[in-house]
Amino acid sequence: MPNRHIPFLARTVLVRNGNVDEAARILNRILGKEGILDQYRRTRYYEKPSQQRRRINYEKCKAIYNEDMTRKMQFIMRKNRADPFPGCI
Amino acid sequence: MFHQLKNILSPNLIKTKWPAFNIAEKFRSIHLSQTYCKLKEERRAARINPKIDDGTEGEKQFGIDSLSLKREELFPSEDTPNKLFKNIPFNQIPICNIKVSKNNTIITITDAKGVVRLLRSCGVEGFKNTRKGTNIAAQATAITIGSNALNKGYSMLRVRLSGLGPGRMSALKGLQMAGLDIISVTDNTPVSWNPPRPRKQRRL
Repeated sequence: MPNRHIPFLARTVLVRNGNVDEAARILNRILGKEGILDQYRRTRYYEKPSQQRRRINYEKCKAIYNEDMTRKMQFIMRKNRADPFPGCI
Repeated sequence: MFHQLKNILSPNLIKTKWPAFNIAEKFRSIHLSQTYCKLKEERRAARINPKIDDGTEGEKQFGIDSLSLKREELFPSEDTPNKLFKNIPFNQIPICNIKVSKNNTIITITDAKGVVRLLRSCGVEGFKNTRKGTNIAAQATAITIGSNALNKGYSMLRVRLSGLGPGRMSALKGLQMAGLDIISVTDNTPVSWNPPRPRKQRRL
């Protein structure tokens, strides 16, 4: 399969001050956040359509729940002061 | 609540089987017990099947963004291929390909054009069977190939990772321990959103 990305420009992190571990971790974090690693893991084995439906429904439910929960938390934690946490940075 | 329970239950009954405090512990409130059991079950499952190490440390981390600090230094730009590292432009630096899989790690060192100069895998290193697919094997392999590379005069490398497996981070660590100077880390894992049909699910 031809690689359509420019090598060493796409998905690359440069190492700063010899800190390889940091660079690799940043790379992993970005790949994880964008769902690339998940997709890789998922496509190792065939996912039956029924499993796929179940997974997608589950993800939908979870997203709705998370959205509602964040809204709720924001609502509870709302404040109406000029400096909400005096003395804190 | 438990004290009340103790009072209600006749002392004779308690004495016949268990001491009183035990009886109180045996009772659980109904609305909590299901969640509690579920939690317990999950913990048990986690103990029985510990999470497989696929070498992606940092994947689930949510740092308060350190990325925003010096973005231009971290990620390559259009000038990067010609940027000099110890008087060698970035695109002339030799490449180290690390192919990681569940059962093995293969490390090759190529020149800038991609011609393979050195190759080493966990199997060659002397680890056989399941031991091939461990992070220790990957690290040992990386150290060996790293010292070989230093002897051949490759001191700086661009690393290109592909695949997920226990050797992903430890191979990098091994290269570093061998004394090589790693300039960049690239991910080259082949990921497709419309792949050909993969093999069937594993039966466990």
